[in-house]
Amino acid sequence: MNTREIIRDFITTEMLHQPLETPLRDDAPLVESGIIDSMGVMTLLSFLENTFSIQVSGEDLMPENFSSIETIATLVERYIR
Amino acid sequence: MDFSFTPEQTAMRKTIVEFARRELNPGLEERYRLGVFPHDLWEKCAQMRLLALPFPEEYGGDGFDFLTTVAVYHALGYACKDSGLVHALTTQIICGIQIWLFGNEAQKATFLPELASGEAIYAQAITEPGSGSDAFAMRTTATHQEGGYVLNGSKTMITNAPVANRVLVFAVTDAAKKSFGGISCFLVQAGSAGFSAGKPMEKMGLRTLANGELFFEACFIPNSGLIGREGQGAMMFSEAMEWERTLIPACLLGELERILEEAVKYARERHAFGQPIGEFQAVSHKIARMKLNAELGALCLYSAAALKNRRKRAALETSVAKLFISESLKQAALDAVQLRGGYGYMTEYEVERELRDSIAATLYSGTSEMQLNILAKLAGL
Ligand SMILES: Cc1cc2nc3c(=O)[nH]c(=O)nc-3n(C[C@H](O)[C@H](O)[C@H](O)COP(=O)(O)OP(=O)(O)OC[C@H]3O[C@@H](n4cnc5c(N)ncnc54)[C@H](O)[C@@H]3O)c2cc1C
Repeated sequence: MNTREIIRDFITTEMLHQPLETPLRDDAPLVESGIIDSMGVMTLLSFLENTFSIQVSGEDLMPENFSSIETIATLVERYIR
Repeated sequence: MDFSFTPEQTAMRKTIVEFARRELNPGLEERYRLGVFPHDLWEKCAQMRLLALPFPEEYGGDGFDFLTTVAVYHALGYACKDSGLVHALTTQIICGIQIWLFGNEAQKATFLPELASGEAIYAQAITEPGSGSDAFAMRTTATHQEGGYVLNGSKTMITNAPVANRVLVFAVTDAAKKSFGGISCFLVQAGSAGFSAGKPMEKMGLRTLANGELFFEACFIPNSGLIGREGQGAMMFSEAMEWERTLIPACLLGELERILEEAVKYARERHAFGQPIGEFQAVSHKIARMKLNAELGALCLYSAAALKNRRKRAALETSVAKLFISESLKQAALDAVQLRGGYGYMTEYEVERELRDSIAATLYSGTSEMQLNILAKLAGL
């Protein structure tokens, strides 16, 4: 699985807790739709940091970095590089 | 995982225990009765470098890791009977951690040295008259104005508020985004126009801790007072809670261990029906429960602290530590009163004070019910 698929899989199974008829799109809004909130983002961060062996620093803890699968993947890839 | 203390941590803990017994405990009964914040003891703690422990030396700190800070505060909670003072100190550290993790270079260089030296007292203000557990339903607003923001609203029950020189204030900067992206954190300095603090609120316990209201009436904060970036407040808060829910339980666990130790001593010495009361199973099981909770509490605490020490996320572990240790402490304090019989109810024997102090621990930093909500969510609900 690539970064986007890993993130999509986690959000779908661990945050939505239900299979979707159509998979979440990379640009689907996660914050506005309430899929990710201030509590959920900490769970997601924990997953990202453990899965990709990264440590997201304070300045990157910005809502816009978690607004879609695309922005999350971009953030992760910046740390992996 | 090895949770044993290093020789340096052991030595520091011993020093703090001796310091607390010698310098912080005498006169507590009177201070508690009067309900005043002990500025002189704050000063002594600052001189012991208790406020400097985790911060880098370049910002006036002593550069110890977080695990060492937790180990030292665990010892402080054990030896210092003035739980209000201990809570005031932990609040200062948590404010410092937020500035350290989220502040810009200028803010760290300006504010951390005065925080670590104890010269300025800090508070963090989230709770409002209409929103506590539902923290992000806050109504205090920060609206843009040329060169900064204007704060309007009020906060309540804020630790250190009546004595604080600086306050980290969380306010709504974008009502549409509200809880995620709509809240920001500002550093407000005492004496700023439009900013005022109320009198200390009378409390059932922690009477040397100063809690109070804060009022913001068209209070202008320059852009340099924004901590982190606009909209980062909720994430800062969640992150800060993980550190807080480790450092505070460290002190609470120490208190629990002291209550246990004193309960054992009493149960051995007090006789009824021709034998020490500790030989009655009804009494010994209360003590066994305290011991069990102290042992489990230590595991919870240090697994959370080890994660935060490595800057890992620990929402689950810190919530578990906060919930388990605070509830265990409250139960231990209640049992300690009961096993002393009528003496437990008398002020002179101190356990009634410990019971009153312990109740607060299940309320601040997220009530026990809110911790359970977090755990339910993390369990997959
Ligand atoms: C000693 C002390 C120090 C404090 N220091 C600070 C400080 O420094 N800064 C600060 O900002 N605040 C501080 N507070 C305030 C504290 O954080 C709040 O009191 C706490 O968050 C609870 O909010 P509340 O009092 O408004 O209660 P409410 O939120 O009104 O809750 C009332 C009751 O309802 C329950 N409840 C609410 N929502 C739910 C839910 N969703 N599910 C289940 N139960 C629920 C609560 O658990 C509680 O039992 C302090 C409080 C105390 C006692």
